[in-house]
Amino acid sequence: MLTTAPAKYRRKRIDPLVVLVFFLLAGVTAMLGRTICIMPQQMPGLENEVARHLHNSGVASPVTAVLLNFRGYDTLLEVMVLFLAVLGVWSLTRATFVGYMGDVSPVQLAMVRLLAPFMFLVAAYLVWQGSHLAGGAFQGGAVLGGAGVLMLITDLPWLPMVPARPLRCGLALGPVVFLSVALGCLIWSGGFLVYPLQAAAFLLVLIEAACALSIGLTLAALFVGGRPYGELMEEQPYEGGSGQGDE
Amino acid sequence: MLIFDADAWIICPIVFPLAASIFFFLSRRTGPVAAPVAALATGVSIIILLRQLLLFGPRHYYIGGWQAPLGITLRFDGPAVLMLAMTGLTGIGITLYARGYFSFRIAAPKRVGRHERQERFFWPLWMMLWAAMNGLFLSSDIFNLYVTMELVSIAAVALAALSGKPASQIAAIRYLLVSFLGSLSYLLGVVFLYKTYGILDLDMLQDIAGAAPGTRVALALITIGLLLKTALFPMHFWLPPAHANALAPVSAILSGLVVKGSFYLLFRFWFEVFSGAISIGALNMLGILGAGAILWGALQAMRQQRLKLLVAYSTVSQLGYLFIAFPLASLEGNMKVWGAVIFMAMAHACAKSAMFMAAGTIYLHIGHDRINELVGIRAYLPVTALAYAIAGVNLMGLPPSGGFIAKWLLLSASFNSMQWWWGVVVMVGSLLASVYVYRVVCQLFIIPEGYTIKKQYPRSHLLEWPAFTLALISLLLGLFAPYPLHILTIGSSNVATIIPGGPP
Repeated sequence: MLTTAPAKYRRKRIDPLVVLVFFLLAGVTAMLGRTICIMPQQMPGLENEVARHLHNSGVASPVTAVLLNFRGYDTLLEVMVLFLAVLGVWSLTRATFVGYMGDVSPVQLAMVRLLAPFMFLVAAYLVWQGSHLAGGAFQGGAVLGGAGVLMLITDLPWLPMVPARPLRCGLALGPVVFLSVALGCLIWSGGFLVYPLQAAAFLLVLIEAACALSIGLTLAALFVGGRPYGELMEEQPYEGGSGQGDE
Repeated sequence: MLIFDADAWIICPIVFPLAASIFFFLSRRTGPVAAPVAALATGVSIIILLRQLLLFGPRHYYIGGWQAPLGITLRFDGPAVLMLAMTGLTGIGITLYARGYFSFRIAAPKRVGRHERQERFFWPLWMMLWAAMNGLFLSSDIFNLYVTMELVSIAAVALAALSGKPASQIAAIRYLLVSFLGSLSYLLGVVFLYKTYGILDLDMLQDIAGAAPGTRVALALITIGLLLKTALFPMHFWLPPAHANALAPVSAILSGLVVKGSFYLLFRFWFEVFSGAISIGALNMLGILGAGAILWGALQAMRQQRLKLLVAYSTVSQLGYLFIAFPLASLEGNMKVWGAVIFMAMAHACAKSAMFMAAGTIYLHIGHDRINELVGIRAYLPVTALAYAIAGVNLMGLPPSGGFIAKWLLLSASFNSMQWWWGVVVMVGSLLASVYVYRVVCQLFIIPEGYTIKKQYPRSHLLEWPAFTLALISLLLGLFAPYPLHILTIGSSNVATIIPGGPP
């Protein structure tokens, strides 16, 4: 007679470490919740401050004013983060994009051919709208990225033939424009990111447009997940194994 | 109106490497030639900042001309400039070494494509990392600090994975997850602070932060986040594989510089912003973890069979000394312990990057780093062997090294404040360090009977001399101890503020 039950009836043993971590996390969550409840709620934040200085920022939308003017340095670094993300992914591997289904239906093809130009338009409109309403580089860039992803999964024949150099330039356009404007301000008005008041509106839209393009390309490039072919010399991938004795 | 304000130099250590990074991404072939130029330019701008600090004292710089609660403030004072100098000095050394390293590897005929890829992406990633480190040291805004930390983490992870080996990629993914967990924890702490006080500026927070419940939670969250990134025992588990499996210049960057960034923030948060909210118990807790790190890291280092892993575990151990300073600072006065911490960080940055460079050079030449088979390295890599030994002297804390000064300051602080047990830990740690240093140095310098050099290796000065120079700097740092300590004390005088371009 077999005494052990079949595997599916046997109770799974629970790792005590997992239980410990679970209770720890639950405790921390409860503590955080309690703190939020007893925290005083009257703090206004910086909204009043932003409203007071909005007329000096060159744009009418407070969000854009904070993002690109009052805390423009943060956004400059955020744009660098996106740039760095592409840099990091490209440093790992070549693109082996697996999205080719082979049988893209004609409906999809026609749809994307119709949609993509519209999405570009919407993206441009969002960037322009950022100066007075909700919108801006990140929203526009997200729509552009979506258009890029749609075109990628539709397997448009010219996409794999996009040469590497213009792609690189497009990816770096936003960071380059932002940094150049910031340094130009240093020479023009004596301070890093101090926009001259007359030109502020134009400069902000310029930065937004360049960043939107770069963000869109970044998102599409991250979706592909590797650098384009022909970018560098070919290399053999590592074989699995000991992982020693090479570097 | 063309005005180039003298105060604008403060952004140069950030902007120069940032621009260099984008440039190296766009034009791939210029990296090896132009990187030393960019590194030198960054170094010069740091020297100018140092000079300004000596002449005019600490400053604030309002980016965009927006005053503190609205805009982002950069500040430079004694500790910030010393950390910048540490990064600059080590960074120039690493840049030169990396140039020699990659040209040596590309010169070898096998796997050219891989080495080419590694070099092409190393330069932009490293420059971006450098810019982010400088931004971190200079920033005075808690959200901006989060952004700079994000830049540091992503660049560091990408660099750690650059070698392409499965082992290094696994380690890099783990590093990524830990690093993001730390970042998110920090960000949650920032949210609590902003909800409680409605401001993000460090100096303003310092004036009003008390022991409110929101502050305590923020302190805990920020501390946990930063401890994860600094790899304090027992949160060090990600560090040895990530540092040991990376390429040699990357190991030097990660071990010498990156962990110091989050530690620096931690120290600033505890003794400047949250000084009203911390308790003796919390300080002692960090001290105990630091003591655990010293002993555990050293014991693990003694057990390792591979040189790079040994050096990586010694980083775990050396980071512990930095945390011993926490319980001492509460009783002994901040400035003196700041001195010990800054000395420890600077000396360790130079010595540890020199050690990793030496280990990398040895690996390149003999193709492995098994400690038991390193006999006779001195015969054909004399400068590298000497560099490793000198860096080891610094880790042991023998005079006149910077490590000696740091340990001396820690010891005297611990005995003055009647907390002699921390001093005992420091001494035991030094003793253990000498064990794991001698274990390797003996092998390097023994030349057995009848030993002949099997193979003629090509010489590369860029592989040997940067490591030697950095090791020498760490050794001689102790002789120049009064100057950094003088720079530190400048920070405590009154702060002059300048608004560039006037309020718009």
